[in-house]
Amino acid sequence: MSVQLEYITKRYPDFFIDVAFSADKGEILTLLGPSGCGKTTTLHIIAGFIMPDTGKILLNNREVTMLPPYSRKVGLVFQDYALFPNMNVFGNIAFGLRMQGWNKNDIKKRVHELLHLIRLPKYEERIVTELSGGEQQRVAVARALAPNPDILLLDEPLSALDALLRKELRSEIKRIQRELNITTVYVTHDQEEALAISDRVVVMNAGHVEQAGTSFEIYNRPKTQFVAHFVGITNMIPAQIAGKDGEITLLKSQEGSFKVKFDEQLEINTEVFLVIRPEKCTIGRFEAKSNTVRGEITGCEYLGDSTIISLKMKESTFTVKLFGPMACRIGETVDVSFSPEDCWILIE
Amino acid sequence: MNQANIEVKHLKTPKTGGKDAALFLFPLIFLSIFFYFPLVSILNEGLTNETGKLTLSHIIRVFSDPYSLRVILFTVEQALLSTAASVLLGLPGAYLLARHDFRGKSIIKAITTVPFVLPSIIVVLGFVIFFGNNGVLNRSLMAAFSLENAPLKILYSMKAIILAHTFYNFPICIRLVSAVWSRVNPNIEKAAQSLGAKGFRLFFRVLLPQIMPGILAAAALIFIFCFTSFAVILVLGGGPKYSTLEVAIYRFAKVSLDLKSGSALAIVEACLSISFMYLYIKLQKRVSFAEEIKLQYEKKSLGTILRSPYGVLAVLYLFITFILIIAPMLAAGGYSFIKRSGWAGGTSPTFEWYRKIITDISASAIAVAYRTSIRNSLFFGSITVLLSLPLGTTIAYITTKKRFPGRGILEAFAMLPLGISSIILGLGYIKAYQNLPVDITGKWYAIAFAHTVIAYPFVLRAATSVFRKINPRLLQAALSLGATPWKAFWRVELPLIKSGLIAGATFAFAISIGELNATLMLYNPEFTTIPIAIYRLISSYNYFAAAALGTVLMVICFLVFLLIDKIGFEVT
Repeated sequence: MSVQLEYITKRYPDFFIDVAFSADKGEILTLLGPSGCGKTTTLHIIAGFIMPDTGKILLNNREVTMLPPYSRKVGLVFQDYALFPNMNVFGNIAFGLRMQGWNKNDIKKRVHELLHLIRLPKYEERIVTELSGGEQQRVAVARALAPNPDILLLDEPLSALDALLRKELRSEIKRIQRELNITTVYVTHDQEEALAISDRVVVMNAGHVEQAGTSFEIYNRPKTQFVAHFVGITNMIPAQIAGKDGEITLLKSQEGSFKVKFDEQLEINTEVFLVIRPEKCTIGRFEAKSNTVRGEITGCEYLGDSTIISLKMKESTFTVKLFGPMACRIGETVDVSFSPEDCWILIE
Repeated sequence: MNQANIEVKHLKTPKTGGKDAALFLFPLIFLSIFFYFPLVSILNEGLTNETGKLTLSHIIRVFSDPYSLRVILFTVEQALLSTAASVLLGLPGAYLLARHDFRGKSIIKAITTVPFVLPSIIVVLGFVIFFGNNGVLNRSLMAAFSLENAPLKILYSMKAIILAHTFYNFPICIRLVSAVWSRVNPNIEKAAQSLGAKGFRLFFRVLLPQIMPGILAAAALIFIFCFTSFAVILVLGGGPKYSTLEVAIYRFAKVSLDLKSGSALAIVEACLSISFMYLYIKLQKRVSFAEEIKLQYEKKSLGTILRSPYGVLAVLYLFITFILIIAPMLAAGGYSFIKRSGWAGGTSPTFEWYRKIITDISASAIAVAYRTSIRNSLFFGSITVLLSLPLGTTIAYITTKKRFPGRGILEAFAMLPLGISSIILGLGYIKAYQNLPVDITGKWYAIAFAHTVIAYPFVLRAATSVFRKINPRLLQAALSLGATPWKAFWRVELPLIKSGLIAGATFAFAISIGELNATLMLYNPEFTTIPIAIYRLISSYNYFAAAALGTVLMVICFLVFLLIDKIGFEVT
């Protein structure tokens, strides 16, 4: 394990942090959650700015729990870059190296190397406040990487940038991370960003871990209602287990009965939720998609690449996302279909 | 992971208490000995009788004695009139600065810093020379209209006090109000216009309520300055008839040597001035909470107003204010190159006064040579900088960086010297060290410590604002890159706060070098400073020599002003 947090807790007058997770060498682990969920606090606990009340932190199997930040060998990148305004690009990247007592020529070589890595060669003499947001963020990444840290910590590194640049820098960070094979903890509140960049996602809420897993698991196999909501699943129908037929679990609900491809064995009549992503549904009846439910269209939003249709079922509300335009009439009653493979059961 | 296998240990935060305590110690000890002890001594003197028993009789006497009552009323009266005059004269300037762009605007803006840097004794000097019965203005008028007698009798009257205070303080109104005015969201005015408001209604119903907090804050600050004004009253008031609390306390302490009455009066004054200060801080907070917006007025060129029907008024205003600011200082500068043969004799140009300064010759009015007074002033200025810099910076560091219960009390504790006038501080020193084996009054360090107490709040303010501006993540970044807290301070924090500290130090220097009040209470002739020398020379009607020393002081203050302006320190 390259990063390991064991039963870390921290009590505040109005907040409690309780986290445990780990990541392997070379992985990107994302802490995903809404603002105020404790993800930045967790990052600061790893970096050593906040002392946890209990627990252990290991970086590359070295216990650092009681070490001050400057002895931990972590590279840290901030949302607002926090470049030293009194130094130029060279001075910023060289700062950590100087702290380690590198000699002049090695520092020069290392800074040169890093500027190539972040694709800003010949930027040494530039004044940091005159760089664009994207350039500042790259320099911040280079500065954090310069002293060869054991782990790279990124605190919402892209949230101050505009949408287009965000996507570009996202893949850039991933490229650099892969090239150096450095273990990375990445904090974000943007689920798309988290899924795109991570090997492993830790969804946090109110100071604790809701679910940890791969991007695919978090997206398609949420374990809690919070995670389901947070990754954009709006369709949750309360249901009970009605039986099992091979791989298929049968559900009954106010809206009718459904088939779900779900391996776990669950007792009959267990209260669960049927969850289905809006984009996995279609309007109309189809043989291949054997689950059907009827609803009345209450709203229709055309978003250019897709259309979002809101429906009212007997008890629940429902959302369908169709790609491309679609003519729909509010008040019309339609069938919504989806296949058992695309559904998931949430037990709570 | 199995929970049973994980050893859950309770961690302790590393102790930093010891270092913090050491940090607190320096300001605490310094202020206790050189500010709070003198202050308590005044309280003790004013609130006890001869046998040491607690009594309010001295305080009651302040309010029943016709003399002291008249002093209090006059203090308030002249401060109110001066404030009203300063605000009224300042408002048009605030409007011009906030809504117009013109060449030389930055100079006018910079000039509004002058009252904060210019020593009051220079104002007094300029006024005596310019508005005096035998002054530049009267002589010019006499020559122009071939008059026998001086037409304007301004000096030694209420008029002189109000005029000098207005000159001194109206730039404060321009500065504060134009800052608020230019922050007003222009769309609000457009909205009001689209709803049919125009002219006076637009101004009184929409615009005025928005700039009112700025006007009130400026008025409060000016009122405090005039309420505790000393040199202007002492010289331009010209006698007991126009005594304010400050002057009365000074006379009790230095002339009639009645420390009991002086202390009782000082307690009353301090209570009043601290309440005014509290009010000002409240008003100031309302100004800074005012909506911060990116929208700016489209600035009109000055030409538009000059061509409008009000153009004549605008020109007249600019002319009068410019004369009011520049003329007394120019007159003082001019006088320093003149000597007069005999009382009513003609004048001739001369470098005599400067030659005397350089060759270290003294005048009979002052006990030391001119050059020595300059040396003394520079010496006290340097000591003040050396002491107030660590004092102000330490307190700023504690109050901005540390979180602890009672921080607000500590802040108030550290800012109280701003609410206590320097005359009262001087009185406190006299009283506090009277009964001790070491009498520090008349010693050089008494003056230096008094100057430090007066000047350090400005270092504190400058340091606080730069500390607040530093992104705390810069320090975290430095720490995560392997810098120890000490190295992070030297390599990241210090370079970033340097300019603020220089501004604060420069300001402290200016305060010390222009300080008259506490110095007058504490000095012995050996430690005559430039302001004291000027005061002595004015008292003995040697205006030319006073003007020469005044010019030296103005030059020093001008350099300070240039430095502060370059760094861009917010003086209010």
